[in-house]
Amino acid sequence: MKKQIKNKKTKVTAAVREKPKAQPVKSKPAEVKQLICLLGDEQLVKEYSAALQEKGIAVQELQNLASLKNSVKKITAAFELTLTANEQKKKNLLALSEALPANVPIISCAVTETILSQSHLLKHPERFIGIAAFPTLFANPLVELAPSLHTSKEIADNVKALFDSLKKETAMVQDSVGMVMPRILCQIINEALFTSQNDVASPNDIDEAMKHGANYPHGPIAWGEMIGFANVVAVLDALYNNHHEERYRVAPLLRQMAIAGVFWRTKE
Amino acid sequence: MAISIGIVGAGTMGAGIAHIAALNKFTVSLYDINDEVIRRSVEKINFEMKRSVDKNKISDDDMKQALTRIKKRTNINDLDTCDIIFEAVLEDIKVKKDLFKKLDQIAHHTAILATNTSTLSVTSIAAATKKPERVVGMHFFNPVHEIQLVEIVKGERTSDETMKSAAAIAEQLGKKAVQTKDTPGYIVNRVSHPFYNEALKILGENATTLEEIDRIVKKSGGFKMGPFELMDLTGNDVSLSVAESIYEQMYHDPRFQPSRIQKQMVEAGMFGKKNKLGFYNYEEK
Repeated sequence: MKKQIKNKKTKVTAAVREKPKAQPVKSKPAEVKQLICLLGDEQLVKEYSAALQEKGIAVQELQNLASLKNSVKKITAAFELTLTANEQKKKNLLALSEALPANVPIISCAVTETILSQSHLLKHPERFIGIAAFPTLFANPLVELAPSLHTSKEIADNVKALFDSLKKETAMVQDSVGMVMPRILCQIINEALFTSQNDVASPNDIDEAMKHGANYPHGPIAWGEMIGFANVVAVLDALYNNHHEERYRVAPLLRQMAIAGVFWRTKE
Repeated sequence: MAISIGIVGAGTMGAGIAHIAALNKFTVSLYDINDEVIRRSVEKINFEMKRSVDKNKISDDDMKQALTRIKKRTNINDLDTCDIIFEAVLEDIKVKKDLFKKLDQIAHHTAILATNTSTLSVTSIAAATKKPERVVGMHFFNPVHEIQLVEIVKGERTSDETMKSAAAIAEQLGKKAVQTKDTPGYIVNRVSHPFYNEALKILGENATTLEEIDRIVKKSGGFKMGPFELMDLTGNDVSLSVAESIYEQMYHDPRFQPSRIQKQMVEAGMFGKKNKLGFYNYEEK
């Protein structure tokens, strides 16, 4: 399914632009229509798609890898937004790296696996860059990016310029599991679930306490629900496997919520 | 029925509680060891209220009325008619236990004794009295007149009735009350522990700078302040002692292990905003 929105104001940096011969319009060589392709987790694709389109960027949500062929020449950047490092993510990254020209950046969610290990064995690993794609965060004014040891400066600059054009700040951080915000956030949610499990306070009081006592934008348990408890567990498990430290042990109640997909409070 | 409030300890927290109680039309007996301490405390309340007047949060008349409701006390026996006594003295278990033993003898037999401790065991403080069912934790946050929350802490032997009364009083003080059991860090200090500690760990791994972590937490996470700004504001000495206390009380559960980086800040005397040097430099150039 193609979703495209025209916006002549959108500017594109030189390096993500396609070669001149691919452009049918001679009179406006500087105006290249951006087309960003998105694939991966439905929730993240939805958030990114909405935010990009709001800024007038043409977006293609790839339903399957076969549809990639039709638009491959028009794509100026690709986002792989599968949070969990699974087989499907590997297939997606492989397909993108095989199909897209070497100068097209592939921006991949690198929250549960480093961008280095995702891209190391693929074609042109220098055009991969990690992003802290995590539910509920893309509406905020800053995105975290992580270049791998292979990522070229040119690609990193281009991706930064892409976000500049979207009026989003960027922060370049080390390529490590959880990056910064998802890591801190998941640890807070985990402790909130331990607190709930230990029956220290009701889930509602835990959320109210953090909002009114610590000025949190959301109560941590409600926030976990918005993110999806399975996503929170995926990050914590990845941190645990990466560090082998007890501090990343998932609260048993949180793991159960991840399996059930809901928090019992919502059923009341 | 007008409830009269007693406060023991006219420091920052005691003054804060007196401030909101007086503004909410309670009569307040503010006790401390001498006139000078009380005078300075009332002066501080006066200053804070004036700022609220300047911000149009309260009227000049509200302020004048409120200040008349604060009675300065230097004899602890004068708290005998109070319906509730808030303790806001030094965060030291022996000091608090001795005080509660004394308050137990002075206070009216139906009075509630509330401790404002943030890290000590309410259960243990209550055990110093003959009426542990009437002892409760009421954990206010600094600055008291700005932060909405009060944690109502149920000690092992605190009665449900005392919990209810304490929550009702907190609400009459214009606060949002949440109930918590008497476990280390209660809710806020426990759940916010990773906000600081994970940020310190990321810094320790050199994944980025502390300025960047603060920027990310605010602009990607939507938090009002970053962890390092907040630690500087609270004071690294205070933050570390809270973290160490939780760690000790949790029998060294590794989740609560304090950060070596913060310890070093304290050892270096870099407490934060209060002495103009912490994670950030606040020295005026």
